[in-house]
Amino acid sequence: MISFVGSLFLSLLRGAGGAVMELCRQLGGMTMLCGYVLASLVRGRCDRRELLRNLYKMGVVSVPIVAMTAFFTGGIMVIQSGIFVRRFSAYGLLGWGAGFAVFREVGPILIGLMFSGRVGANNTAELGTMAVTEQIDGLRALAIDPIPFLIAPRVLAMVISLFCLLVLGDAIAIGGGMILGKLLLGVEYSSFFASFAENVKLWDLMVGLIKGIFFAFSIALTSSHYGLSVRGGAVGVGRAVNDAVVAAALTIMISDNLLTLVLR
Amino acid sequence: MTAQGLVDGVTGFVRSLLELLGRFVLLAALLLRGAVRRRWAAGELWRQMYHVGNRSALFVMVTLGFIGMVLVFQTCLQINRVTGDLSQVGAEFAKILVHEFGPSLTAMMLATRVGAGIAAEVGSMVVTEQVDALAMCGVEPVEYLLAPRFTATLLMTGLLTVFGVAAALGMGALTAYQSFHVSPDVFFNFSKVQYGDLLTGGIKCLCYGGAIPLVSGFCGFATSGGSEGVGWATTRAVVASSFVVIVLDFLISGVAMFTLQAG
Repeated sequence: MISFVGSLFLSLLRGAGGAVMELCRQLGGMTMLCGYVLASLVRGRCDRRELLRNLYKMGVVSVPIVAMTAFFTGGIMVIQSGIFVRRFSAYGLLGWGAGFAVFREVGPILIGLMFSGRVGANNTAELGTMAVTEQIDGLRALAIDPIPFLIAPRVLAMVISLFCLLVLGDAIAIGGGMILGKLLLGVEYSSFFASFAENVKLWDLMVGLIKGIFFAFSIALTSSHYGLSVRGGAVGVGRAVNDAVVAAALTIMISDNLLTLVLR
Repeated sequence: MTAQGLVDGVTGFVRSLLELLGRFVLLAALLLRGAVRRRWAAGELWRQMYHVGNRSALFVMVTLGFIGMVLVFQTCLQINRVTGDLSQVGAEFAKILVHEFGPSLTAMMLATRVGAGIAAEVGSMVVTEQVDALAMCGVEPVEYLLAPRFTATLLMTGLLTVFGVAAALGMGALTAYQSFHVSPDVFFNFSKVQYGDLLTGGIKCLCYGGAIPLVSGFCGFATSGGSEGVGWATTRAVVASSFVVIVLDFLISGVAMFTLQAG
């Protein structure tokens, strides 16, 4: 009996230790990558053609999915605040509620998660394929440092594209909220806009955009890290993409929490 | 572009869309038949339930816990600015968590965790021709591979939502106590949670739990071409299943608002 409990305890301890070691390994890898990327960005070493290509691929191509997500996000927020609005018949507060929630929290989180799924996962898949087909080793053999050539442009492109997509998405979410507020709740455009413009400050928009910058940076780091450390063919690429989106979702939630405490 | 070219382009687009829709319906029908016939290996369902449920529980609880903290913090901050009466925050938070944020955010997390996993596994089986081998042995791959994952996700989404809601409530209560001095006795107040809220949340869980494996399995079976193809399929699965969750959330919330919470 005692030996059974002892072995159970040991295996539990072993599992916990393994998990912590794995966490430290991934976190350490990401921190190293972050340092390298920042160093090469500060020194202005960033391939310009790769940057432009990635800006198109990450920013312009993601516009439809972000626009649709933002429209439905605005709709969901209107429906949810509509429950309160109808209970207290406070139709004048709908624009404030929807605008505040979308700008500060729901917009950056949902668009960030969508961006992580679309762009981050794609980035991991691309880098992972390059890693398993030894293209990254090939770059090193040609004395081309993969950080300024591959990673730094991607990080920069993700930050710029998520920032622009958030501005667009916020606008579409508010527009969608206005249209659906009129259709579902019968709130006039003018009263929605008046309560929106009166109560939502520029700072609320800024908080969301600052969050977006941090989200994009963490998505870029996690996706690049998992992409570069792929081992073992097609199976490895799939698993890396899966791990990368999970890690990106976790870092989005945690950094959202920290940023909410800092940016009041 | 000439008029003829435009017509050709439109018909080509419509045709490919219809083809996609047809394949999707076919897969859904095979999947449903498989889920009803339950012809999988003994213990396979338990294994998948472990993979979907136990392995995601920590992830879901951590993310939902952080979301709970943020939501309570923002709500209290806003209410402090207007009225300063924080006694109803807990009750309203529990209500909106049960019928909206709990199921939807859990499902968003599962779309990234489970959806990507299904697409990656099925996709790598497709490109290494294991799926073709299954079909050659007379086993229907959709039924054998996807049906147990479908049933497991359907069952586990509701359970994980319960855990996620519990984590969000706990962390929310902690935030309310820490930052705004709302005592947990006042915060834990379920008087506003009605049967309609529970029903809405339950229906959402069922729909998300069915949609995520269906959509990501479809993306996985449509994989073609090596490790790059697997990466593409996984990406597509994450985007499609997250988007389906958002659209379903919108639709179900809209219907619920007009039927259950009228008045």
